[in-house]
Formats: sequence, structure tokens, C-alpha cells
Amino acid sequence: MNRAITISGMTVRQVLGLRRFIGLGALTAAPAGIFLLASGQASVDSLVEIFTGLSIGVFYSVAVPVVALIMAASALGDERRDATLSFIVLRPIPRSAIAGAKLAGALATAYGLAGLGAFALGVLMAVRSSDWGYVLPMLVGTLIATATYVALFLPLGYVTERATLIGLAFVFIWETAIAGTIPGLATTSPWRIGFSAFLDLAPDAVGREVPDFALGSLEPGVGGSLLKMALLLGISTLVTGWILRRRDLT
Amino acid sequence: MSTAVASDPALAANPTVEVEGVSKWFKQKVAVSEVTCSFGPGITGLLGPNGAGKTTLLRMLTGLLLPSGGRVRVLGRAPRDAVDVYRSIGLVPEENAVYPRYTGLEFVALAGKLTGIADPERKARDALEEVDLLDAAGRPVGGYSKGMRQRAKVAAALIHDPEILVLDEPLNGTDPIQRAHLIALFQRLAGNGRTVIVSSHVLQEVERMTDRVLAIVDGKLAAAGDITAIRRAMTDIPYRVVVSADEPRSLARAMLDIEVVNGVTLEDRRIQVETSDLAALGSELPGLAKALGIRITGFKPADESLESVFRYLVRKR
Repeated sequence: MNRAITISGMTVRQVLGLRRFIGLGALTAAPAGIFLLASGQASVDSLVEIFTGLSIGVFYSVAVPVVALIMAASALGDERRDATLSFIVLRPIPRSAIAGAKLAGALATAYGLAGLGAFALGVLMAVRSSDWGYVLPMLVGTLIATATYVALFLPLGYVTERATLIGLAFVFIWETAIAGTIPGLATTSPWRIGFSAFLDLAPDAVGREVPDFALGSLEPGVGGSLLKMALLLGISTLVTGWILRRRDLT
Repeated sequence: MSTAVASDPALAANPTVEVEGVSKWFKQKVAVSEVTCSFGPGITGLLGPNGAGKTTLLRMLTGLLLPSGGRVRVLGRAPRDAVDVYRSIGLVPEENAVYPRYTGLEFVALAGKLTGIADPERKARDALEEVDLLDAAGRPVGGYSKGMRQRAKVAAALIHDPEILVLDEPLNGTDPIQRAHLIALFQRLAGNGRTVIVSSHVLQEVERMTDRVLAIVDGKLAAAGDITAIRRAMTDIPYRVVVSADEPRSLARAMLDIEVVNGVTLEDRRIQVETSDLAALGSELPGLAKALGIRITGFKPADESLESVFRYLVRKR
């Protein structure tokens, strides 16, 4: 267990350099900044509209996937490219434990950034609307979306050097263009899974502002979202562990 | 054999690492082809030109690469299937595999933590002291010179006191003093019963460390065993011997009549002899000299160095 924690800690330190922290931190904080500027004299109804628009259009669909993609793809991919992977894998640690520790490290880092953005946006909305019911749902929805993305992108980052490109194509072509127009595919979209959890927990006023493409065929539900997240995290750990056992490690 | 070498010298007496018919290919390229050998306590030099397949073989020994054919056993187990075997392996990879943001102490202690040893910080200091890097322990590895990074990698490989050390070009980038220090360290570890496998394309380095070599050329095991024995087994390649005598010109002329002598040249009062049978020359020469009243002052094979042997092996391929 201690060794797995050590690997998670190494991962956090490795993937989160100062430049990434500043760049990705700015990205996740951008919706809160825009909200602050746009909500100056807005009514409560307008606040909900602005908040929901920013949550869907910038935070969940852009900031969360980009942060999770970069952190998760780097967690094993960077080590493979700079040849430090042998430093971790040639240890008496089961490969599935290494995979799980890497996943935990990538998730902690990605959620550390995305969660701060979610918290900032939720708190600003709470202060402006005098309703603190936005903060926790934002944190929960962001956690689920981030974890689901990390589960997808961790093994991707290991198997291909083009993980970032493929990940961006998944986010902006598959999720935005395709899953956004075919409602039945919404369940393949991690940010929509997180957003459905958020909607289930958020004040009812938010639900009225949500456009059809945001949820597709998904129903708001935190339980289902958590289940999907847990399932994907489990599958990701098993697949990554299998890859580390059965593929060349260079 | 002629230049081929019998399989026995490739096998160690008490093997800790066994390689049986191992091949590795990457798409259409064969990197290692049906290599059978083993390694036991002491230093074994793995030699070969760049691209010969040394690193690929070492990566298969440690489980980083899966063999395309054959099998590798480390302490009787396949490394990929029994991760506990990594308590007994220390690897110094060829690549610049360090975490640049970590200090030397953190980097080496990290290796200890991941291996699960007690008191990794103290043992990291001990390991850094072994490689003479304790003074720089507090500096980030990213700021180290190449030689310092090599030594940090060696310290990280040593921290858990492994039974088997796999060193891929460990002396790269080190200066002569550091090189001598590391060679002495490897020899001490080998003397304490460790299996030390060192790959290098710098023959003099290997020659200083050990007599036992495995030569890999074009992915195949070209020769194995003691350097002198390998050379003497190459009966199809004439020997070169340097003979010194008080009357070299007369002796050189007379030596041309010896059946096993292929040619003679005289340089700086020393006779360079090319012979097809070193033993026969050695037994006939004293009689010839005595008959001529010439005193022989030196008789030394000129091409039993590792470099000569290796040059022959590579040329034969």
C-alpha cells in the first residue's frame, strides 16, 4: 500500500509542473472569471442561465476533459517516452497496483485543478444567487466527469504517443459533434455522465436552462453516474495492468 | 570450432539468469536471434557493436521486453509472472532514465521505497556514498552531469542490495576516475557473489572488469567464455606473436622454415610472426633458437586482447 501511495505521489509531482499548473489552472478558472464579469447586474434567472451556459459550454465540455486528458495521458505516457518507466515497473509491485496508483495520481492531480475551478464557479454562483446548493453538485459532477476521462485516457497515454491528439478528437469531434447530435450516444460522453450527476443534485432552476444536446438520452442521476464512473475506473485499472504485464515496456 | 564457439562456455556454472533460445523481433527486424546463455556470480561482459542486440537482450532479462521466442528465467522464474523477483534485480538502464526534479537523495531513496526496503533514506545515503555522489545528494538530478546521472542510476540500482545487477553501458559519460571507481565497485560486488552483467561497446572497459564475455553480433551469440580461450578456438584465423631475441634478424630468417609460420616481419628489433598453430610454434621455437645460439628474450601473443578477438568476430559476420 505504501509503495502504491509512493507511485501516486510521484505521479502528481511528475505530471504537474509549474507551467501546466498555471496554464490548466487558468483554463479551469476561466468559467468562474467569465461568470464574474458577465453576472454583474444580472437577475436571478439570468444568473442561472449564465451559470448553466458556462458550466455546459466551457467548464464540463472543454476545461474538464482537457485537464483530465493532459494529466492522464502524461501519467504513464511521459514515463514511457523518457524511459523512466523501468524505474517503476521493475519493482516487486503487482502491475495492476501500479496501474491503480497511476490512475489515482492522475485523478488527484486532474481533480485538484478541475475541482478548484468547479468550486470557484459554484461559490460565485452561490454568492450571487444566495443559494449554496450549487457548490457540492459542481464538485460531485466534476469528480465523476474527471474520473471517467482519466479512466479512458490513462491507458491511451501509454499505448500511443498521439494520445493528446486522439483525446482531443474524442472530446471535440465525438462528444461535441456526434454525441451532441445523436441523443442515444450521450452515454458515451464522460462530461455528460458527470453533468447528469450535477443536474440530479443541483437546484431545479438549472434543469430548466439545460439544452437538449447537453444530456441527450441521459437522465439526471447521481447513482447511475457513480456506477458508470466506478465501472470505468475498474476496467481502466485492469486494462492498464494487463498492458503492463503483457506488452513490451519501452 | 573454427570461429564458432561451443555452447558450453555460454553457460554459467551456477546460473542465476538463464536464457534459452531467446529471440526478439520488432515487426520485420530481428534484434536477437535464438540466443542461449546463462549468467552466474561474477562479472560477465556483454559485448557487441552498437545495434548488435545487447540492450534488447538485457531488456528481456529484466522483463522489460517479452521474448518473441524462447524463455528467460531469473532465479528460476519468469520476471513478468513473478514480480517478487525484482527484489533481487537492480537495473542501470542505458537511457537517461532519471526524474530531473528529484534531488539525488530523493531519487535513490525513491528506488528503495518502491522496492520496499526499510529506512530508504539512510540506505540511499549509503548507496550514494558507494558511488561517490554524496556531496551532490541535495541537488536536483536534472542539474547533474551525465557521469553524475550514471552514478545516481547505479546507486538507485544498488540500494536494495540486489543479487543480480544488470548494467547497460554503465560507464557512459563518466570520467576516468569515476570509471575506475565504478569498475572497482562492480568487481567488489561480483567478489561478494553477486551476478553482474555489464554491457558495453567499449572493449577496454570490459577487459578491465572481467575475462568472461558474451559477444553479440547481429543479434546472435558470436562467442562466449574466457577471452583467451575464445581467441585460441579461432583456429582459422592466424595468430600474431611478437618475439624478442638478441639476434632478431637471424632468428626471423630461420623461422620462415618452421612449417606453422605463415609470415615474419621485423620491426624495431622485434619479430612479428603470423602462425596457424601457436602451440606448435611455442614448442619448436626454443629448439631453433638454441641451434642458432640465439637467446629469446620475449614471446607474447599480440592478438589475444579483447579488442583483437572482437574485431575478428565482427569481421567474420
